[in-house]
Amino acid sequence: MASNNMQDIKRRIKSINSTEHITSAMRLVSAAKLRKAKTTFDKTTEYFHFITGSMEEIFSNTKEVPDRYIEGNREIKKTCYIIISSNKGLCGSFNANVIKETEHNLVNDAKEEAVFVAIGSKGRDYFKKREREIIGSYMEPPEIITFKDVVEISAPILKQYEDGEIDRIVLIYTSFVNNLEQKPKTVQLLPFRSEQFAAAGDIQSEEMPKMANQVEYEPSIEDVFGYLVPKYVEIVLFGAVIESATCEHAARRIAMENATDNAREMLDKLSLFYNRARQASITNEIIEVVSGTQAQN
Amino acid sequence: MANTFKLEVITASELFYSGEIEMVVVRTLLGEEGFMAGHSWACKLLDTGVMRIQESEEKDVKWAAISKGYIDVKDYVVVYTDLAERAEDIDVEDAEKDKAEAESYISINESNCNTDADVEKLAQARAKLKWAEARLKVAESLK
Repeated sequence: MASNNMQDIKRRIKSINSTEHITSAMRLVSAAKLRKAKTTFDKTTEYFHFITGSMEEIFSNTKEVPDRYIEGNREIKKTCYIIISSNKGLCGSFNANVIKETEHNLVNDAKEEAVFVAIGSKGRDYFKKREREIIGSYMEPPEIITFKDVVEISAPILKQYEDGEIDRIVLIYTSFVNNLEQKPKTVQLLPFRSEQFAAAGDIQSEEMPKMANQVEYEPSIEDVFGYLVPKYVEIVLFGAVIESATCEHAARRIAMENATDNAREMLDKLSLFYNRARQASITNEIIEVVSGTQAQN
Repeated sequence: MANTFKLEVITASELFYSGEIEMVVVRTLLGEEGFMAGHSWACKLLDTGVMRIQESEEKDVKWAAISKGYIDVKDYVVVYTDLAERAEDIDVEDAEKDKAEAESYISINESNCNTDADVEKLAQARAKLKWAEARLKVAESLK
């Protein structure tokens, strides 16, 4: 009986030991990947900040922006959700958070029709299972998505928006707070909310109240915005993909660290149990021997 | 000393240029245009072509090839472009090869464009030719 128990514990120790090896290796791998992704992310946010800043300033001058890009000028019937998730699991609540955020949005806008564009297979699989309409998906690992890919992903969505098939484009991704914290975030890409760029507009209007009306657009306002709006969407989307990739690695690193810690804790406990069982079996044997000799006397 | 202003040239993959400069000349859709400090605010679309940057206290003008994009002129200037290449990075042989390929494609297919796909391919070839020409022009500036 005792030896049976001991063997069981020994087997469990062995299996948890190998789990611990795997998780700690994965932790190291994702730590390295996180560092790499973080560098790219820092670099891109640095210069994307200029470009989104410059575009937002232009858009803040709402009088000039064509009506179709401003919220409130057309009824919203159909929303396209762009969901950035990961292709692989074992990253804690990373995908669950994005999906939860999406579901939350869906409940809020229950009256509207919803279609999905998925970047990353986890999000796609989830919504496919629930029989949501998926109009586009991109399955490459997020680290290798280039700007060109993002242009290809966003082109059909933008076309449908221009044609009036989609009335709203919403992006849901994970934003990077720090190495330990990532938050799901919802961004409405199109149409623009009037308060969205208010901050950029305020600075402008305080400094130069009159200048805002004197911007020269060439060749025409329509052409300029026809170019800038899709570019803005592409750039924001590209930034989000990179940010989400960084978050995925950060989330996985933490998940793996926790798993390693848990495995070690369990190993400690199990080896204690093992020793106890061993001790108990020894004590048992001694008692048997002693009581045997006593009986003989 | 002439007035200077801050210029930032951004592409999808990098911060291409950033610095205090006296003048920048770019090719807008309506033609070549130069911007100096104090220019009225503007937002213009760019064509594929050459960008020239006159840095402050530098005699030489810096050349670069850029492809499409826009220029945002305020107290500072931001240029966004899809592609940008510095004069010293341009591979002349590669550019010449691209140019020859695009030229031959255009001369063969120009007269028989029937489907939308053909028209698009021709437009792509023209864009390629323009980009190759801009790069060659920029590369020449080094000589």
